[in-house]
Amino acid sequence: MAGAPARRFEFEGRARESSGAVPLAASLSSDRVPVLQRSIRYHRPRAPFCGIGYCTGCLVRVNGAPNVRACRYVPAAGDRVRTENAWPSPRFDVMGALDFLFPGGVDTLRGFRRPAALTGAYQRVVRRLAGYGAPPTPEGARVPPPPPIAREVDVGIVGGGPSGTAAAAKLRAAGRNVLVIDRSADPPAGAPDVPRLRGTVTFLPPRSAPGDPFVLLGFSEPDQGIRVTAAQVVVAPGGYDGSLLFEGNDRPGILTADGAFALARGPDHPPFRRAIVVGGGPRAAAVLRAFGHRVEAVVAPLAIVPEVVRIASELEVPLYPRTLVERATGRARVRRLRLRSRGKGTRFDLACDAVVLAHRRLPSTQLFFQAGARVEWRAGAGAYFPVLTTDGATTVAGLYAAGSAAGAVEGDAAASGERAAEGLLRAAGPATAEAASTPDRSELEGYYRELLAGRPGGRWIACACEDVLLDEIEAANRAGYRGIEVIKRYTGVGTGLCQGRYCLPDALLVLALLEGRTPAEVGYITQRPPAVPTPLGALAAIGTAPPETGGP
Amino acid sequence: MSAPSRSRYRVVVVGAGVIGLYTAHHLAAAGAGPILVVDRGFLSSGASGRNGGGVRQQWETRATVRLARESVAAYRRFGRDFGYNLWFRQGGYLFLAENDRELARLRAVHDLVRSEGLPSEILDPARVAGLVPGIAAGAAVGGTYLASDGVLYPFPAIWGLYEDVRARGVEVALGLEVLGVDARDGRVAAVRTSRGRIETEIVVNAAGGWSADLAQRAGLPSPNTATRHEILATEPMKPFLDPMVVRVSDGLYFSQTMRGEIVGGVTGTNGTGVEGGMPTSPRFLLGMARALVRLVPRLAPLGVLRAWSGFYDDTPDGFPVIGEDPRRPGFVHANGFGGHGFMLAPAASRRVARAAMGETVDLDPATFSPARFLSSERPPSVERLQLG
Ligand SMILES: Cc1cc2nc3c(=O)[nH]c(=O)nc-3n(C[C@H](O)[C@H](O)[C@H](O)COP(=O)(O)OP(=O)(O)OC[C@H]3O[C@@H](n4cnc5c(N)ncnc54)[C@H](O)[C@@H]3O)c2cc1C
Ligand code: FES
Repeated sequence: MAGAPARRFEFEGRARESSGAVPLAASLSSDRVPVLQRSIRYHRPRAPFCGIGYCTGCLVRVNGAPNVRACRYVPAAGDRVRTENAWPSPRFDVMGALDFLFPGGVDTLRGFRRPAALTGAYQRVVRRLAGYGAPPTPEGARVPPPPPIAREVDVGIVGGGPSGTAAAAKLRAAGRNVLVIDRSADPPAGAPDVPRLRGTVTFLPPRSAPGDPFVLLGFSEPDQGIRVTAAQVVVAPGGYDGSLLFEGNDRPGILTADGAFALARGPDHPPFRRAIVVGGGPRAAAVLRAFGHRVEAVVAPLAIVPEVVRIASELEVPLYPRTLVERATGRARVRRLRLRSRGKGTRFDLACDAVVLAHRRLPSTQLFFQAGARVEWRAGAGAYFPVLTTDGATTVAGLYAAGSAAGAVEGDAAASGERAAEGLLRAAGPATAEAASTPDRSELEGYYRELLAGRPGGRWIACACEDVLLDEIEAANRAGYRGIEVIKRYTGVGTGLCQGRYCLPDALLVLALLEGRTPAEVGYITQRPPAVPTPLGALAAIGTAPPETGGP
Repeated sequence: MSAPSRSRYRVVVVGAGVIGLYTAHHLAAAGAGPILVVDRGFLSSGASGRNGGGVRQQWETRATVRLARESVAAYRRFGRDFGYNLWFRQGGYLFLAENDRELARLRAVHDLVRSEGLPSEILDPARVAGLVPGIAAGAAVGGTYLASDGVLYPFPAIWGLYEDVRARGVEVALGLEVLGVDARDGRVAAVRTSRGRIETEIVVNAAGGWSADLAQRAGLPSPNTATRHEILATEPMKPFLDPMVVRVSDGLYFSQTMRGEIVGGVTGTNGTGVEGGMPTSPRFLLGMARALVRLVPRLAPLGVLRAWSGFYDDTPDGFPVIGEDPRRPGFVHANGFGGHGFMLAPAASRRVARAAMGETVDLDPATFSPARFLSSERPPSVERLQLG
């Protein structure tokens, strides 16, 4: 993207420049972890975290439209961008002065009931504090919404990573009319040339009748609707880096590995000077390879694989295997991590200016669930995966899975895409296997058992979108509420913008401990469509568009 | 999960939704004896955990206006009585008319509501625009508005009732399904459940969308039908909209929660019967987005956060079914609440409890009793304002 003309836009009333496809968040400040807003209940500073448009860390207002993800939005010339939900500025916290009123946390379930005469006043204040951005202004909406992109193909492929691209190439070679739909603008370097559409598929409903085509609905950022009709579908959306529960895990500077990559302006410009990498597997190795000279230490909740040991020793980065992360401190940005070695229990601190979470890759399974495909709990990975045949057929005829969402491990992604393509060409499947949820415990459950035994006090944020405290989950459990579905409704955990991606996987493990059951018994979190918040305007336009004609 | 501790109860309430739990509360408060509430799902898995939280007193019949008005008073006291904050925000209900015929219908509602002492108002387009910022020009010729209507959070009502009844000694068994109802000498004698038989004198059918199914399991055909209704929520934003807005022509309804989300749907049904489960359909998601963006174009950039669906339990005349089934003494109905069971629950369930105890109830039997469906006479009135 070098050499692209610079574009002028405005941020908080000041002129800025950006070039190429650099998203707003990466062009806002030199350290790229700008504090952009405050959280809703505890007005904690919020900064980019996930880097892939899922979390609540980077919401800004662009030209009168609220809740724009700065990590995804590429500014256009003349854009007016400002921060929201932070008064007088995101870095300056006036609301903190009121904190002493709520030593145990802001109890929206039982609090604010007395005196009854104040009900209206409480409601006005709380209503104003809740909500993210201000309502859209007329300029914020394109009226009418832009016409949607409508395509009709033989095979729709969701996800253009190595697995989706490999599946597409193979199917194309066999004469199928394919379309890869992927959120990123550019194909991976050296990828075979296949038809691509930039967009996010957010809704894949079950077919109305077995012979009918699938309809893939979604949007191309920021607000253009997408509707792709396909006889068969390969779902290969990959995964994302999971979060980890510890005190202060929402401090600015704490990033997922996805976030670190997204906010870096190239390998020599990571969004930190000295980061602690959390994790000891392939993903941690990737982070080390990319940003090695800026990594201060590697801290792993579980064991550390030889590959990480090798890279770290070359870079002379110290390793802390089997270590509990207890607490992050630092005001505007994380400065220090409090750790406890497992077993021995000795506590120690490490200084840093960022923490990169790379300990756990989680599959993106929403579309399988929406389409009615069965999923099963895999204890080893600590996540749900679709039930599949060996050639990637799901339990829904015509729907195939590939890549890490299908459980492929790194290095096997392209091969898993080819297997799915071959399965599709042979019309293999559907899978009939009963979901075989494994009863074993995941290793992370053991991690949390140790971490939470003798957990020091303080505000542990279990859900950063909704500011839900771990204390609240424990209290709900003590009050007799059981199962993830009920705990979610009782506490609000998982009901925010990330749709539970960053809080529910850990909440499930914690609940398994509290309830003395396996995570699979605590429940599957029904993931309601759309898979990613989808603009009303994009959906409205699809709804109005005449039936599509022709192929891509 | 929580298994029943006894083999015999005075009352078994089937359904731990707002109707079943509220009924159990009134029964326990009246000292009805050992009470068991059963539900095959988790707490709030039925319509009580899937609705829009709208509470209105604008109706087409006096009978419904009165039940709703009494319920509004109860919900205002809920925080004091049950310890949970419903965030019952009385921002009004605004019905929109697109033409004079619809406005004439609303005028009749307005006259009735006023005659019941509630200060409903007729609004001109300018006042409508003042209440719905950004509404498209010419979208309404007018509307009716009652400021004391509003929206609440359904979940805390369930938590408050659940804790209240348990504190009163009521047992709540979740994950337990009623498979059949046994009779002896024509009277209710026991329920057969997924975990064995439980003796009881009284069964309360508070099974929501599954009420006809439960009645059938008791050998009592019911005219109720389950219809699936879909609903969505957007990303939260700062306060934008005060009232619940309902459009008469197509049943589009939406409001803004305390949290800031726009929550709404289109009242038209998305299918009949409980067999298909509770999916979200593209027809709804796209159609709802289109309707909303046409009415309030500036909402276009707002993201839809989630969509879901649930069952209404509809009756032929639009009134709920409250009272003992004349065909089976001991079998008491508390169902048929359509899309309005939450807003009628406090008042209706008080009568259900009285009926279950064999006491007289101040409801017109021709309007509410299950017996009305057994005679061939035409219903004396029909509640048609089944919107929002
Ligand atoms: C999308 C939608 C929007 C709505 N909006 C509103 C609104 O704005 N305002 C309003 O007042 N109302 C609204 N409603 C209607 C309202 O939600 C219902 O009328 C009300 O919740 C009914 O409560 P209930 O307790 O009767 O039923 P439910 O909450 O459905 O409870 C019935 C329970 O019975 C259980 N059950 C059924 N059969 C059996 C069996 N055989 N054995 C054991 N358990 C069984 C079920 O598991 C279920 O939990 C809406 C409904 C929907 C679907
Ligand atoms: S950092 Fe942009 S959404 Fe998470």
